[in-house]
Amino acid sequence: MVFSSLFFTFAFLPVTIILYYSLGKNLRNIVLLIASLFFYAWGEPVYVLLMCGSIIINYCIGILLGRDDIIRGKRKYYLIISLVFNLGCLGYFKYSGMIISTVAPLLPIGISFYTFQTLSYVIDVYRKKIRPQRSLILFALYITMFPQLVAGPIVNYADIESQLSDRIITVKEFHLGMRGFLCGLAKKVLLANNIGMLWSEVKAIPSIEISASMAWAGIIAFAFQIYFDFSGYSDMAIGLGKIFGFRFKGNFLYPYISQSISEFWRRWHISLGSWFKEYVYIPLGGSRVGKGKLIRNLFVVWFLTGLWHGASWNFVLWGLYFGILILIEKLFLHKSMEGLPKVVRHIYSLLFIVIGWVFFEFTTLTDIFGFLQTMFGGGVNIILQVQEIAKLKSYAILYVICTVAALPLPMKLALSFKKVHYNIYELAVKVYYCILIFLLTGYMVNSTYNPFIYFRF
Amino acid sequence: MQMNSKKRFITIQNILGMLPYLFILAMFILHLILPAKTFSKEEKRYLAQWPVFHMEDVLDGIYGTKVETYFSDQFPFRNFWIHIQKSSVPLNIYKDTGDPKYRSEIWIPVE
Repeated sequence: MVFSSLFFTFAFLPVTIILYYSLGKNLRNIVLLIASLFFYAWGEPVYVLLMCGSIIINYCIGILLGRDDIIRGKRKYYLIISLVFNLGCLGYFKYSGMIISTVAPLLPIGISFYTFQTLSYVIDVYRKKIRPQRSLILFALYITMFPQLVAGPIVNYADIESQLSDRIITVKEFHLGMRGFLCGLAKKVLLANNIGMLWSEVKAIPSIEISASMAWAGIIAFAFQIYFDFSGYSDMAIGLGKIFGFRFKGNFLYPYISQSISEFWRRWHISLGSWFKEYVYIPLGGSRVGKGKLIRNLFVVWFLTGLWHGASWNFVLWGLYFGILILIEKLFLHKSMEGLPKVVRHIYSLLFIVIGWVFFEFTTLTDIFGFLQTMFGGGVNIILQVQEIAKLKSYAILYVICTVAALPLPMKLALSFKKVHYNIYELAVKVYYCILIFLLTGYMVNSTYNPFIYFRF
Repeated sequence: MQMNSKKRFITIQNILGMLPYLFILAMFILHLILPAKTFSKEEKRYLAQWPVFHMEDVLDGIYGTKVETYFSDQFPFRNFWIHIQKSSVPLNIYKDTGDPKYRSEIWIPVE
């Protein structure tokens, strides 16, 4: 079940909210846990057992690690068991096909996210940063909570420990949550899906046949698609969390306004970046080491970041590409970049981010370098063709909307307007959400509109 | 007089604020009470009906997909929503080909 489906928005969500708020405070966690298990089982009826197994094993290990009378050697032993189990499951389901060139088993949805959440819990209990969760229900709720189960953001246990047992829910927070959900849905349904259609068309044509300008227009469309898709999902998850009283941290912060690659990664998929920083980069020594070790640390983190995104070597290449850029920035560019005009830093960052999406999107080296060659004028057609101009014209307004929506400017303008005309602002926001839900319904219904052209009466 | 118009303004604001929630709820209730249609003239095809329960379908995850298809096909005032979408400018670049690649599927990093 995906958030952008009619069934989720118009059946699963209202039923869950009604049950959650009508059955009383004591039953709220149970309602949310059952809803989350149902949500997972809807698409993965068998793998829900794997997730339950993981919950029970890690819950027990957490309890054992938290015992006061446990000897030091045993603590390490329990941690290793947990690491082997969690990473073993992830490795088997996600990477076995890639490693031993065989048919990989079906990938349980959300396994990358819930494995990282579980690891953060066990490692933090081992480090004595948190106390183990005694309630199996609350621990299971932390792992399975449906808003962030399938595609994140990765929530550290330490951040929501207190909210699991007791959380304050206000009407204002509920409103904000619902608005966050609708905004995320709009990013996905109105922007990502539509601009993504252009990329689908460009990608379907052999790269040698398209012009350099069209190749750039296409990959920029993909850059918008992936941003609005993923940040839209995160916004929906954070909004849903708020509806149920949870406060998750933000996962995207206008990444395309970055002035360096390092800044881009502080703004893009923040929860994943923080996870690797806390549980891999810093334990390896972080940045406060010699040059040789710094290179090793960055290599490990970016190899793993790339690999985490998918069981294919192009993702590793994509991760290492950013690792190298960040290393260059850290070692050479950092100081000299500070003196450069902002516009130059923006252009530099966007250029390399957009090129990076080529490595992410194409799976083979031939396709990757073929497309890059076309982007830099190595194709047959260098100048835009007539049909390409027509296509781009029909997408021009969408490009403008996507560009504006990826900037913090509209939000800043809205907030400064709010300071001067509070009542009009409040009214306008409410009208905006009414129009938005109408439009979203239209687009979601249309995505299932399936005229049968060859039907004979 | 001024007090009355202020009250009215607040009432309008409150109603507008509640409208998206009421709308979602209304669609859900209408979905439950309206009788299922069998055929769509506009789409020239038979619409999905509530799927027959088979344990094998549930275990394969197919049952969920069938229920979602039923839910979409039987969505209240389906044709009206299609019209809303088609008349929405400037986002209306959606090509009505029925091509499955244009169907709404969320992008999630390959797990």
